[in-house]
Amino acid sequence: MSDAAIAAPRVESQGYRFPVSETIKHAVLIIGALIVLFPFYVMISLSLKSPPEILQNIGGFFGSQETFIDDACLIVGGTEEECLKNPVVYNYTTAFEKAPLVRYMLNGVIVTASIFLIQVLIALPCAYALAKLRFWGREAVFGMVLFCLLIPVHAIALPLYVMLAKLGLTNTYAALVIPWTISVFGIFLMRQFFMTVPDDLIDAARMDGMSEYAIVWRVMLPTAIPALTAFAIFSVVAHWNDYFWPRIVITGDRTLFTPPLGLREFKGDADGDNYGPMMATAVVIVTPLVVAFLLAQRRFVEGITLTGMK
Amino acid sequence: MTRQAARGHAHLWFVGPALFLMFAILLLPIAVAAGLSVTDYGLGNLSNEFVGLQNYERIFTRSTYEKMFGATFRYVGVVVPVSVALGLGAALLIHSLGRMGDLYKTIYFLPVMAALIAMAIVWEFALHPTIGYVNRGLELSCGTVLERLSFFAEGCDRTFPLWLTDRDTAIWTVAFIGVWQGFGFNMVLYLAGLTGIPRELYHAAEMDGARSAWERFRLVTWPMLGPTTVFVVTISIIRSFQVFDMVEAFYPQGGGPSKSVYVMMFAIYEKGVQQNLMGIGAAITVVFLGFVMVLTLLQRRLIERRTHYV
Repeated sequence: MSDAAIAAPRVESQGYRFPVSETIKHAVLIIGALIVLFPFYVMISLSLKSPPEILQNIGGFFGSQETFIDDACLIVGGTEEECLKNPVVYNYTTAFEKAPLVRYMLNGVIVTASIFLIQVLIALPCAYALAKLRFWGREAVFGMVLFCLLIPVHAIALPLYVMLAKLGLTNTYAALVIPWTISVFGIFLMRQFFMTVPDDLIDAARMDGMSEYAIVWRVMLPTAIPALTAFAIFSVVAHWNDYFWPRIVITGDRTLFTPPLGLREFKGDADGDNYGPMMATAVVIVTPLVVAFLLAQRRFVEGITLTGMK
Repeated sequence: MTRQAARGHAHLWFVGPALFLMFAILLLPIAVAAGLSVTDYGLGNLSNEFVGLQNYERIFTRSTYEKMFGATFRYVGVVVPVSVALGLGAALLIHSLGRMGDLYKTIYFLPVMAALIAMAIVWEFALHPTIGYVNRGLELSCGTVLERLSFFAEGCDRTFPLWLTDRDTAIWTVAFIGVWQGFGFNMVLYLAGLTGIPRELYHAAEMDGARSAWERFRLVTWPMLGPTTVFVVTISIIRSFQVFDMVEAFYPQGGGPSKSVYVMMFAIYEKGVQQNLMGIGAAITVVFLGFVMVLTLLQRRLIERRTHYV
């Protein structure tokens, strides 16, 4: 290590780089950023424009915001005055009126929240037992956790679907939640975290006469908040955005649609693609997570990178 | 003593629910899939005959499944190397910029957060052959100097590529969107890897005569990122094998022009859920699980070996 100490000052003096290379780096990164942001630009812009502006590609980013005549409204028998609409208002109100978007969002919240709560309820005690209790078969249980980490739930969707159908559970909230109740990844993560908690803390709690249950929820849970937050973000993002599983188990009942299914329904509509309201729906669905991400970036990055470890 | 006894049983309550759910939700379905894959089962069917390995035989002989493997491997073959390389490139550039790189990091991570189904719908509009932003943008080049290039000349003469609706370009366009969505995730993993490289190593390399940035990268950065790379590559492979949302949104029927985008997850969905051919769907599931498990095990081996080595 002494070599490094000697070398250090020399390198720092060379640390200045030509502004040219910095400029090139920024140029490359800016081009990349423009490509990455392009669909977000398209999405927001279209959600602000009127149908003629979209089809003729005029009006720039915001559109002219001039009122236009809604043909669908005329067909239903509205007078021309009634059918004059402001593009933004039209797009967003149609998004909420044509489909029960509020209901979909509520379903999304119900499903993601229940999944996360049940995952914690199951995983936390198990992780505590694996980390801090000695019992017969502990290694075997942990081995099984490691094995189950190999199984992506999406890959076994078909047999799960058959099993749920046999139980008569398709088209229920239960079907949306059940396959995700067990997060072996959550168990693994929490177990690794609990391994670092000193035994003294638990012994002290036992001395105070706390039961093992109390220790899990009143001692271990508070210490695990950082790991739990990261896990919460990982879990919420995965299940709010999940399209595959709801698509399989929710077939007819629109009242159970999650936001991604609601958006998909918009697209398959018979009266052609009505881009403005469709993009408004996309904005409404994408915004909550993106805003949360912008507000708490570091936590989100931690949480999502956990996905990789799954 | 009685409290001791209560403690002695606590682990059963802690581990029991998790153990039960692991069996019921993760292990049992694998057995169910394996069982169904040798039958001609369908939900609601009365007959449920044992057909031996016939389903597997079909998968490896019929042209439909040849297309399925073709589309899946093309997608994986493009998305994995490109998204890993772009992730590494972005991470290196951003890392070298220090705090100034944070904004790029935020931007590149946005697609990871946004619901893919929503962004897929946006891309579909942007890539629309006539009214999409991409081809409208390309048309602007007509009559300019760019028209000398054969790509633009041909586009202006007849039409620009149809992107998602042409069987020659569809799978590559879908792969592009896959890269767009996923490389920010790899970038974050690489950034974490880069911060873990001790500065002294660069100093030491410099002492040994590694003057150029390329030499430092070859001698220090790349070897030190070894475990991260193994990890990133495996994760990318597993994630891209599971591509579904886009394919279903673009091509609800049949998997794209001439089935050129008929990827495995879509095949499972189409055969099993839409057409109620559970036997064949289960057989694809088993093959799919085989791929994923072998890859994950391989990754664990490689990482273990690498970490011993480093």
